Amino acid sequence: MVADPIVSIRDLSKVYRQGEIQVTALNQVSIDIQTGEFVVLMGPSGSGKSTLLHIIAGIDRASSGSVLVQGINVANLTESQLADWRNQNVGFVFQSFNLIPVLTAAENVELPLLLTALGRAERRRQVALALDLVGLADRGHHRPDQMSGGQQQRVAIARALVTDPTLIVADEPTGNLDAKSATDVLSILQALSRDSRKTVIMVTHDPKAAGYGTRSLHLEKGEIVA
Amino acid sequence: MNLPTFILKNALRNRRRALLTVLSVGISCALLVTLLTLQRELTVPPESQAASLRIIARNKVSLAQPLPAKQLRVIERIPGVVAVSPFTYFGGNFRDETLTSFAQFAVDPVRFRGLLVEARVMEGSYEAFEKDRLSCMVGIETVGRYGLRIGDRMKFTGTFYPVDLDLKIAAVFGGTIDDRGVFFHHKLLDELSGDPGTVGTWYIRAASPEVANDVIARLNGAFANTAAEVRAETERAFQLGFVSMLGNVKMLVLLISGAVVFTLSLVTISTMSMAIRERFRELAVLKALGFQRRELFAFILAESFGLAALGALLGVGGAWALWTHLDLQKLTSGFLIYFEVTPRIMAWGAAVAALMGVVAALPPAWQTARMSVTEGLQTLD
Ligand SMILES: Nc1ncnc2c1ncn2[C@@H]1O[C@H](COP(=O)(O)OP(=O)(O)OP(=O)(O)O)[C@@H](O)[C@H]1O
Ligand SMILES: [Mg+2]
Repeated sequence: MVADPIVSIRDLSKVYRQGEIQVTALNQVSIDIQTGEFVVLMGPSGSGKSTLLHIIAGIDRASSGSVLVQGINVANLTESQLADWRNQNVGFVFQSFNLIPVLTAAENVELPLLLTALGRAERRRQVALALDLVGLADRGHHRPDQMSGGQQQRVAIARALVTDPTLIVADEPTGNLDAKSATDVLSILQALSRDSRKTVIMVTHDPKAAGYGTRSLHLEKGEIVA
Repeated sequence: MNLPTFILKNALRNRRRALLTVLSVGISCALLVTLLTLQRELTVPPESQAASLRIIARNKVSLAQPLPAKQLRVIERIPGVVAVSPFTYFGGNFRDETLTSFAQFAVDPVRFRGLLVEARVMEGSYEAFEKDRLSCMVGIETVGRYGLRIGDRMKFTGTFYPVDLDLKIAAVFGGTIDDRGVFFHHKLLDELSGDPGTVGTWYIRAASPEVANDVIARLNGAFANTAAEVRAETERAFQLGFVSMLGNVKMLVLLISGAVVFTLSLVTISTMSMAIRERFRELAVLKALGFQRRELFAFILAESFGLAALGALLGVGGAWALWTHLDLQKLTSGFLIYFEVTPRIMAWGAAVAALMGVVAALPPAWQTARMSVTEGLQTLD
């Protein structure tokens, strides 16, 4: 028997309304994702990849259908509950790194921990572990503008995993990187899913990147095609 | 790192803007404090000071109209009046000057003594002045300026009065707000001008600041419906009467203060909005990481309030230091006397700036609260 999926998506639809015009970004999507999977979402521009990822990660809401993460229906949470839920369950990696420029690498990684009950020393330990995991143990004191794009993205991954989340979501994490840095980032995400049993969902346009995942899903016009 | 450090780093990320915000709040605040101090100076009569005890009664029609000398008997008997003397502006020119800058007043030396509270006789003696009908008492500044001594003569050519004076200096006084004037015997003026039986104004001292207003009311009442109605006011109000002829000064100062506060709020609101708008994307990231609306609101508020508070400290402190250490009395020739930046005024200045800090945080905080994470992430850096 297969274990309960960590993410269970049923009949998920998202419709954007702008005046008279309706855009169906997602149409009746149903997916199950198991713990430790590294799911790669692919598809043409405008097919709804980001929209799906945002709804799973609890930063956007569906028009209909449900998303259960560890049995919790995310749609039923209030804004405030959702914020706490994200802090505990989701790690974000964005295409454009999105580090806070005035903070050092270590401080950026520490940011989500400020919302937890952890003490200063424990926070530091976790930050050091996370930076070590992405191979930046010696760069903690550097600010984003003193690092390469690849290094910044690795700091972002450290920030995403420092809270030990249920899910790591990444929207085109290699989109702004050169080939070498992209490989580094993909290897780290792969290792997280394979060695640490983290569930990773990644959106990408790059067919080579898809090779790092355990499963690929293709979206077209808001529907899963493969 | 902790949250306060995070807020501080954010507030200081753009040093030039932070500095400009602090400076603009500071300068507006200093201006506001100065205006409030000016308004207090112009409207609040100096309390428990000799000057507030002294009342000047003049002809209600105009300052140029004389009053009958026989009013003295009535004034003397008004309850609360401790001393009264005729006080007539001579307005002569000293030596061959065309416009003498110090005033000469004809007084009754015996009665006048009771009105000189803070004055001290520095040279000569008051008795000598009292005794000699042709003598005068001169302020120490005038004596110093013209190099005069006791026994020297001062000649004045009349401008209002068709008579000239030739006075001998019997005493020199100092220690008053205006140590420039010359006082001489009213009897002499009466004799020279053919005993018209009039005085320019009455100079009166009330028993205490508390009764000064009653005395004023009684003085005004005593001569109501007579041929020479009087208008009594404190010496200070009398001086300020000249200023208020320019318009309603109090209203004007309040209007300017209002404009300052308005500008202050526009400046802080726009700088805060700018500071937050360029960080919209970062705030969206913070939201994604799990920061609550109220936490983001607190960040924005703390930053805005912090900068405003720093500005207030600089502005209020600066204004206080400036007005406390400048000798304004000297600089304005006695027009501004105390110009005291009271704790109450400082509190007002600081409160207005602090309020601005809070108000300026509201629009960006509101925008941030309403912003969805996906929307915020799409904004470009
Ligand atoms: N806020 C919005 N308002 C209206 N329409 C939107 C909004 N966000 C997305 N859409 C529309 O929804 C559809 C799916 O968008 P989405 O961003 O999910 O595509 P995507 O697959 O991530 O594309 P890309 O590869 O270009 O990032 C598109 O047609 C897009 O125009
Ligand atoms: Mg996308």
